[in-house]
Amino acid sequence: MFIARSEYDRGINTFSPEGRLFQVEYSLEAIKLGSTAIGVSTSSGVILGVEKRVTSTLLETSSVEKIVEIDRHIGCAMSGLQADARSMIEHARVECQNHAFHYGESLGTESCTQAICDLALRFGEGAEGEESIMSRPFGVALLIAGFDEDGPSLYHAEPSGTFYRYDAKAIGSGSEGAQAELQNEYHKSLTLPEAEVLVLKTLKQVMEEKLDAKNVQLASVTKDKGFRIYTDDEMADVVGRLPTN
Amino acid sequence: MPGFDFSNHNRNVALHAQGVPLPKATSTGTTIVGCLYDGGVVIAADTRATSGPIVADKNCEKLHYISPQIWCAGAGTAADTEFTTALISSNLELHSLSTGRKPRVVTCMTMLKQHLFRYQGHIGAYLVVAGVDPTGAHLFTVHAHGSTDKLPYVTMGSGSLAAMSVFETQWKPGMTRDEAVKLASDAIQAGIFNDLGSGSNVDVCVITNEKATLMRNYIKPNVREQKERNYRFPRGTTAVLNEKVITKEDLSKYITVHEIRDDDQGQAAEQMDVDS
Amino acid sequence: MASVFSASIPQEAPGYSFNHLSSGTREHAFNPYTDNGGSTLGISGADFTIFAGDTRSTSGYNINTRYAPKLFKIGGEGPSNENARIVLSVVGFAADGNALKERLDTVVKMYKYQHGKPMTVAACAQRLSHILYSKRFFPYYVHAILGGLDEDGKGALYSYDPVGSYEREQCRAAGSASSLIMPFLDNQVNFKNQYVPGSGVGHALEQRVPEPLPRKDVEQLVKDAFTSATERQIEVGDGLQMMTITKDGIEEVYSPLKKD
Repeated sequence: MFIARSEYDRGINTFSPEGRLFQVEYSLEAIKLGSTAIGVSTSSGVILGVEKRVTSTLLETSSVEKIVEIDRHIGCAMSGLQADARSMIEHARVECQNHAFHYGESLGTESCTQAICDLALRFGEGAEGEESIMSRPFGVALLIAGFDEDGPSLYHAEPSGTFYRYDAKAIGSGSEGAQAELQNEYHKSLTLPEAEVLVLKTLKQVMEEKLDAKNVQLASVTKDKGFRIYTDDEMADVVGRLPTN
Repeated sequence: MPGFDFSNHNRNVALHAQGVPLPKATSTGTTIVGCLYDGGVVIAADTRATSGPIVADKNCEKLHYISPQIWCAGAGTAADTEFTTALISSNLELHSLSTGRKPRVVTCMTMLKQHLFRYQGHIGAYLVVAGVDPTGAHLFTVHAHGSTDKLPYVTMGSGSLAAMSVFETQWKPGMTRDEAVKLASDAIQAGIFNDLGSGSNVDVCVITNEKATLMRNYIKPNVREQKERNYRFPRGTTAVLNEKVITKEDLSKYITVHEIRDDDQGQAAEQMDVDS
Repeated sequence: MASVFSASIPQEAPGYSFNHLSSGTREHAFNPYTDNGGSTLGISGADFTIFAGDTRSTSGYNINTRYAPKLFKIGGEGPSNENARIVLSVVGFAADGNALKERLDTVVKMYKYQHGKPMTVAACAQRLSHILYSKRFFPYYVHAILGGLDEDGKGALYSYDPVGSYEREQCRAAGSASSLIMPFLDNQVNFKNQYVPGSGVGHALEQRVPEPLPRKDVEQLVKDAFTSATERQIEVGDGLQMMTITKDGIEEVYSPLKKD
C-alpha cells in the first residue's frame, strides 16, 4: 500500500489504480490541521464563527483575519492555508463585481460558490498547451454565507472543487466534535441571537484555549445589513450571553 | 431665349466648400416606359415622387403634354422635367405656328437633346418622347446629357430594369392597342412593386392617328387602407395663446368659401392627398 | 440619449456598400456597413409590452426580401425560442442585428444554466449595453430596443444607441421611419402637445396627463403608425411583425403592409 501510494501521489492529475487523486486527498488533510470554523444558517440570516488561535500573548489578535467580506451580501470563513484563501477570495470578489457590472444585480450565493470551486479545480497541467496557473490544489476550505433573493444560505467549498449547502457546518481541526454538537443542537426555528450563542458554545467545546472575546470572531449576513464582522463590544456581548458551565 | 441665372453660382460654390450641403431637389426616382404598337404609341409612368427616402408626392403626374399628339414621360429631377417639357412644348407650338404644320416627334426630340446637351447634364431630365405625326408613330428616349435612342419599346428611371424585364419577356411585334396598354402598365407595375423609387398608381397615355388619350390613374393597386383609429382632437386640445376672429363673410371677399358637412371631413382630408 | 446613429446615417439616399467619391483621387475603400432600412417600435403598457417592425429588407432602391424579421425572442428554449420572456428588436445593418441577437441570446441562455433562474429584463438590458459598448470602435450598426415585463409585472422597455447608451422609456421608434413615427407616439402615447380643453387660458392650460393605454388601443396605434410610415417612407413596407409580451408569454402576429 505504501509503495503504491508513493508512485501515484506526485502527479496531481494522475489517478491511482484504486481511482484516487492523492494530492487532492492530502489537501483535505491540510484543512484538518486548520483552526475550527463554524457556520449556522437561520431564517433571518447566517452566522459565521472562527477560533483565532492566539499562539502568543504578543500577537495582535485583530490582525488574524479568518472571516472576510466577498461582497456586500456574501462573506466567508476559512480553515486551512490562509494564503491560499486569499487568491480564492480575490477571485470571488472579482466575480461578484463583474456580475454587478454586467447585469446590474448582485451575484447569487450559489453562483459565487460555484465560481470559487471553478477556480479550485484549476490545478494541474492545463489542457492543450495552456499555461498552468497552480502547482497544487488549494489547502483551504471555505464556509460561504450569503443573503440573496432566495434568502439566506450557507455553503461549504472544498479544495476538490465540490461544494454542498448546509444548515450548519463545522470545518477545521475540531470539526468532528463540533459537527456532532451542531447535529444535536440545530433546529429550523433558531433565531439569530440563538445561532450566535450556538456557534460560540460549539467553538468553546472544541477549542484548546479557553474561549474569550479576543480569540474568537463572529460575523453575520442578514437581509438589511448584509455582511458584517462583529465589533469587540458585540463580541463581548455574545460571550456574556454564553451559558456558564 | 431666356436662360438660367448663374449669379449665385460663385457664392454657392464657396458655401459648399465650407460644408453647406446643396439644397435637395425632388427627384422622380421613377419608372417610365413607352411602347409602339400597330396604329400608335403608348407611354406610361408611375406616380411616386421622392426626396431621398421620403415620398414627397404619392400621386404626381409624370406624363407631360408637349403638343396635342406628342407626350413626354419624365424621370430625374422633377423641376427639370417639368420646365424642360414646358419650354420645348412652348417652342414647338411657335414652330408649328410659323410653319403651319403639325409638329413632328423627331423635331421635339431634337429640340430636347440640343437644349439638354447645352447644359452638359446639369439639367437632370430623362425623358421618353412619344407621339404620332404625319410621318407615323414614333418613340424616343432622351438622356440628360443629350443622347437619344429610337426603339420599339423603352424604359427609363430607377425602375427601368424591372420594367424592361417585362418588355423583354412579353413584347412582340405588331401588338394591338389593348395589348400595348396592358404590357406598358404591367411594366410600370413591375417598377412600382420592385423598385423603391417607384410606387402608387399607373398613368397611361395612348396616342393614335386621331388623338391622344390620357388615362390618369389607369390602375390604382396601392389604395391606402382605412386607419384603425380616429385622430380628431376635441376642440380646445391645442393651446391658444391669442385669438383673432375672421368671419366667413370677411373671408369670402378674397376666396370662395364652401360649406363642408361635418361627417364629410374625414373624406375631405383624404381627398387632399390626391391631386386629380 | 446620444444620437450617434441618426447623425451618421446618410440621409440623402438609401445606403450603399461602397463610397461614391465625386472628384479628386478615386479611392476604392470597402465599407463594412450597409443600411438595410426598415423601422421598429416598442410601447410598454401596464402589464404588457408591444414590439413591432416591418419585414422589408432593402439595399439602395432594391428589395432584398419582403420577409426579414427584425423582432427576436431572447433566451427561449429550442429553435423556436419557446417560453422566452424577452424580446429584442434591431434595425439598421441587418447582419449586425443578427449577430447581436445571437450573442445576447447565448448570454441569456448561459445565464439561466449558470444561475438557475431566468434573467430579468433589467439585467438583460444592462448586459446588452455592455455587449454594444464592447465594440465601441467598430460598433454594431443598429438601433436596438429591448423589452419584456419587469419584476413587478409591469411593461419594461429599454432603447439603445449603437454603442450602448440606454434608458428605460414608455415608447420608442427606431429605424428609417423613426422621425415619422416618434412624434406620433409622443403625441398619442405620452399626450405631448395635448391640453385639457377648457382647463385654463393661454399658459394656464393643463397638459393632458398620460396614463397607461389599454392593449387594444396600443395595437391600433402601432398599426396606424406602420401603415402611415409605409405611405411616406420608401424603405418601409411589405409586412408588419408584432410581438406582445404578457404574463402568459409572447404572442406573435403578422399582417401584410403595402408592397410598393
